[in-house]
Amino acid sequence: MWVERVNLSGIAESTSVLRSRSSPAQLVITFGPTQSLRSGEITRLLRTSFPEAILFGCSTGTTVEGRSLSDTNTVAVAIGFETSWARVAIERIADMSDSYRAGQAIGLELGGEQLVGVLVLSDGLAVNGSALVNGLKNTLPEHVKISGGLAGDGAQFADTLVTVGDLAESGLIAAVGLYGPSLRMTHEAAGGWDEFGPVRIITRSDDSILYELDGKPALDLYETYLGDEAAALPASALLYPLKIWDPACPDDEVVRTVLSVDHARRSMKFAGDIPQGWKARLMRGSFERLIDSAAEAADSAKSQMENQTSYDGLCLIVSCVGRRLLMGQQTEEEIDVVYSSIGGSFPIVGFYSYGEILANSKTGPSGLHNQTITLTMISEVA
Amino acid sequence: MSYHPLLNRQLLKAKCDDESIDVPTLLSLVSTAYQEKDIDRKRADHANRVMADELNVTLSELALQNMRFRAAMDNMYHGLSLFDEQGRLVVCNSRFLEIYGIDGETSPIGLELPEILGRCDALSRANDLDKRLIIREHICLDRLDRTPIEQQWPDGRWVELTRTSVADGGFLDTIVDITGAHQASDKIAHLARHDHLTDLPNRVLLRERILEIYRNRRRQQKCAILFLDLDGFKAVNDTLGHAIGDLLLVEVSRRLLSIVREMDVVARLGGDEFAIVVQHIRSRSSPQRFARRVINLLNRPFTIEGYKIHVGASVGIDIIDASEMDADQILRNADIALYQAKADGKNTARLYDPAMHAAVTARRQLEVDLSNAVLFKQFEVFYQPQIDLEAGTVSGFEALARWRHSGRGMISPTEFIPMCEENGLIEELGAQILEVACKDAMAWPACVTVSVNLSPVQFKSGNLPTIVKDVLEKIGFPGSRLELEITESAIFDRSSGIISQLSEIRKLGIRVSLDDFGTGYSSLSHIRSFPFDRIKIDQSFVRELGADAESLAIVRAVVGLCENLGIQSTAEGVETHKQLDVLQHEQCRSVQGYLFSEPVTMSETMKIISEFNTDPPKQISIRRRAA
Repeated sequence: MWVERVNLSGIAESTSVLRSRSSPAQLVITFGPTQSLRSGEITRLLRTSFPEAILFGCSTGTTVEGRSLSDTNTVAVAIGFETSWARVAIERIADMSDSYRAGQAIGLELGGEQLVGVLVLSDGLAVNGSALVNGLKNTLPEHVKISGGLAGDGAQFADTLVTVGDLAESGLIAAVGLYGPSLRMTHEAAGGWDEFGPVRIITRSDDSILYELDGKPALDLYETYLGDEAAALPASALLYPLKIWDPACPDDEVVRTVLSVDHARRSMKFAGDIPQGWKARLMRGSFERLIDSAAEAADSAKSQMENQTSYDGLCLIVSCVGRRLLMGQQTEEEIDVVYSSIGGSFPIVGFYSYGEILANSKTGPSGLHNQTITLTMISEVA
Repeated sequence: MSYHPLLNRQLLKAKCDDESIDVPTLLSLVSTAYQEKDIDRKRADHANRVMADELNVTLSELALQNMRFRAAMDNMYHGLSLFDEQGRLVVCNSRFLEIYGIDGETSPIGLELPEILGRCDALSRANDLDKRLIIREHICLDRLDRTPIEQQWPDGRWVELTRTSVADGGFLDTIVDITGAHQASDKIAHLARHDHLTDLPNRVLLRERILEIYRNRRRQQKCAILFLDLDGFKAVNDTLGHAIGDLLLVEVSRRLLSIVREMDVVARLGGDEFAIVVQHIRSRSSPQRFARRVINLLNRPFTIEGYKIHVGASVGIDIIDASEMDADQILRNADIALYQAKADGKNTARLYDPAMHAAVTARRQLEVDLSNAVLFKQFEVFYQPQIDLEAGTVSGFEALARWRHSGRGMISPTEFIPMCEENGLIEELGAQILEVACKDAMAWPACVTVSVNLSPVQFKSGNLPTIVKDVLEKIGFPGSRLELEITESAIFDRSSGIISQLSEIRKLGIRVSLDDFGTGYSSLSHIRSFPFDRIKIDQSFVRELGADAESLAIVRAVVGLCENLGIQSTAEGVETHKQLDVLQHEQCRSVQGYLFSEPVTMSETMKIISEFNTDPPKQISIRRRAA
C-alpha cells in the first residue's frame, strides 16, 4: 500500500510522481473549505489525474496534513493498494429522520465477505450521526471497523458537504468499504474534557433536540455560561460539550456537541440523540489535557498497528471543531503530538469535524463521538 | 535556548524563504496567542463564577432540603441513627437522643455505638450484667436480616430495634418505643383472661390455673373445686336493676376473696356463677366445711347503695387428686354437683358423685326432648270439669297440659312446667295450650267455659295480652268463655307488670281467677290487688274438710269473703262425698275434683257435658272415679 500527498497547486508534477508507483491510485481522499470543494474545480483536477480512483472527501473549517493545520487549504492524499480494494456507496437523505435508513442502506451495499472497514463521511448539519452509525452497525458484521466523521464548516455551522466522484453536495453520505485479507485497520478515540458543575437531568428532549435541563431551557444555561461568547452560538457552545449517560448504565457515557440553536424555542440541536431522563453534565477542556489525551490515543493506535505492517499506511485524523475553537493556535499541538508518536511511516491527513465516527463491536452504546480526536490507521500486510 | 513549542511553531510560520523572520507576521501570531490565552482565562473565570453561583444556589437548596429532612427526622416517631463504614455515628435525630436519654449538648456524632450506649442514661439503671447484655444484643444486630428485635430496658420501657445496611458500607438503626403497644397487648391479654366486672379470673384463666396446678402437682396432693351460684340473684336484677346486681357481684367477689388463701383461685364464670379452686386439701370433709362457710358468708345481708339485699348460694364440689386432674372433667363434675345442689333446694352444698352424672345427663336429655316436644307441638290437653253446685251442671273445664314422652310415658306437669319455665319454652307452650283449649271449647255448649293456667313467667315479656287476643281472633272464640288462672305466687312478683297485663286481658271479656288460694303469703291482700272473677280454694284445705276444723274455718271464711265481694268460689280437689257435703253446706259455688271426674281427653268431655247438662238433675249425680 502506498499513500502520497497530492499537491493540488502543482498537480501535474504530483501526478507524474504518483504514476511511478507500483499500483494505480484507487482512492483519493480530499478535505477542504466548503466553497473550495463546492466549485468542482478540485474534483475535475483530481478526476483528470486519477481517472480510476474513488474520489472521496468532505468540507471542513480546518484541514490536517502532516503536523500542520490550515483553515484555508484543501488537502488530498492518493492511496494505492497492493492486494486490497475499495468500493463506494452513496446515500442522500431527505431529512434527519432518514439517517438510520441511510446507514442501513450503506451497510447493506458495502457488506461483503472480505470487508475489513468502512470510512464514512456525512453531511455535517442535516444528518443525525447517532442514527447513521446505528444503521451501519446493525447491518455490518461486528468485526468491521467503522471510521469517519461529519463534514464541518469551522465556526460557521452554515454549509457542509460531501464529495464523492463528481458530486459535491449537502445532504449526502458517502462511504468507502475497504476489502481484502491483507488490509489492516485500527482506530482510537480520545476526549480529554473535564466534567464540571452540577449533575443535571434532561427533563425535555426530542431525539437530538434538547429543550430543558432540570426543567429550565437548556439554551439559557449555555448562554449564562458563555457570557459574551453567547453571541457566537452555536459554535461557542462547543466550548462546553455535554456529557450524558443513562442513569441505569452510568458507565456508558457519551459526549454530545451542539450543531445549532433555536433562539425562539430556546432549544439546541446536538449531533446525536439526547434521551429524555438521562443525566447530563457540562464539560470543559484545558489545552494540556486535550493534547495529552491526543498523545495517548496516538500511542495506543500505533501500538495496535505495530508488527503488522510492511508497507506504508495512512493515518486519518478526525478531530472535533470544538477542540479547534477552544485551543486556537495551540490546536496544532494535538496534531504535533500525534505526528511525533506515529512518525513518518504513516502520512497524516484529516479534518476538523462536526462529529467523529468510530465504531465497532467494542465501542459500546454509540459510534458517534463528539469533542474527540479520532485516529484511524490503515495499512496492508505482506 | 529552547522556546515554547508554540513559539517554535510561530517562528516556523514567520520564517521567510531566505530563512529570515517576518517580524510583523510573528508579532501577529504572538499577539493572537496572547489574545487566545486571555480569552481562555476570561472564559474560565466566567465559567467558574457562574458555576460558583450555581453551586451556591444548589447549596442553599441543599441546606433547605437538609433543614426539611432534619425537621422530618426530628419529628419522626422512630429514633434514627446512621453509622458509617467504620461504625461511627454520622446522623441521628432528636427522637434517638430522647429514647436513649442522651444529653443533646454533648453530640454523639462521630462516636461508635458501644460508646454511645455506654453513655445512655436510659440503660444506666441496669446492673452491669444486664447492661452488657442489652448493649451486646444491640451491637450484634444483623444488618442483613432486617428482622426487628425487642428489648425491655431497666426503666420498664420496651423498644424495638431494626438494622438495615447502607450502600456506603455503613448501617442504619431505627429504634421505636413500643411500651404502649406492650401495655395494650398486656391489657388485652388480661381482659381475655379476666372478668371485666370483678377482675376475677374468667373461665379461660381458671382452666389455665387448673392446668398449672396439674403441671406443678405433688404426690397425693388433692384439690377441690367449688362451683357456686347465687340464689335469688335474678330477683335482685329484676327488682333493683342490673347496676345494683353488678355491684352485688363485685361485693360477692370481695367476700369470696376474703376467705381464700393466696394459692387458691376464685373465678367468675359468668352471670352469678363463681368457681373456687382450693389447693392442698387434707380431707374430703374440709371442702364441704369450706362450702358451708361460703354459703354462710353469702347469706349475710349485703348493703348496696342503701339497699339491704339477701341472697343465698348453692355450691357444687368436686375433689380430685392433682395428678389426675383434667380441667374439663373437674369443671363439669363441679357443675353437675352444683346442679344437684340447686335441685336439692337453696343454700345447699353437694359433693360430686358419679351417680349424679347419670341423673343430670338424664335431665339434660329430658330438656332436649321437651324442647322438641314444644317445637313439634307434641303436648296433649286434658280437661277436668268444674261443677256448678247450685245448677248441678258442668259450668266449665280446666285445661291441663299433658306430655306423653316416648320413653318415659306420661310426664307430670309438675316436672315439665318448671323445666319449660327455666328453658324459656313456657311462652310458646302456654300459647299452644291456649289455642288447643279454645279450639276444643268451640265444640262445647256456649254456657260451658274453659279455663287455662298461666305461669308467672308468661308475663315476663309483656306480650301475654297480645298473644291471648291473637288466639281468640284466630279461633273466633269469645273471650267471655275463657278464664285464665294465675297462682298467688305470680301476683307476688309485681315487677312483671302482671296487674296491668291482667287488666288488659280482662278488657277482652276474659275472666281471671286466682288459683291455689291460701297457699301463698298475704293471700287476702291479693284479692285487693285485682278484681278477680273467681277464687279457687287450694285442695290442701279441701282435703282436710271434715277432719280438720281449721281447714273448715278457712274454707268458710274464703267462701264467705267471696260471697261478700261478689267473687265466684271454687273448691279444688274434691274427692269425697263428705267434702262435697261440707262445701255445699258452706255454699261454695262450684267444685272440681276426682269425685266428679279426673282430667279427661277432649272426646270424653262431650260425654260428661251430656251427662250433666242435658237433663239437669236436682241432685248431683256422682260419677265413679275412673280406674
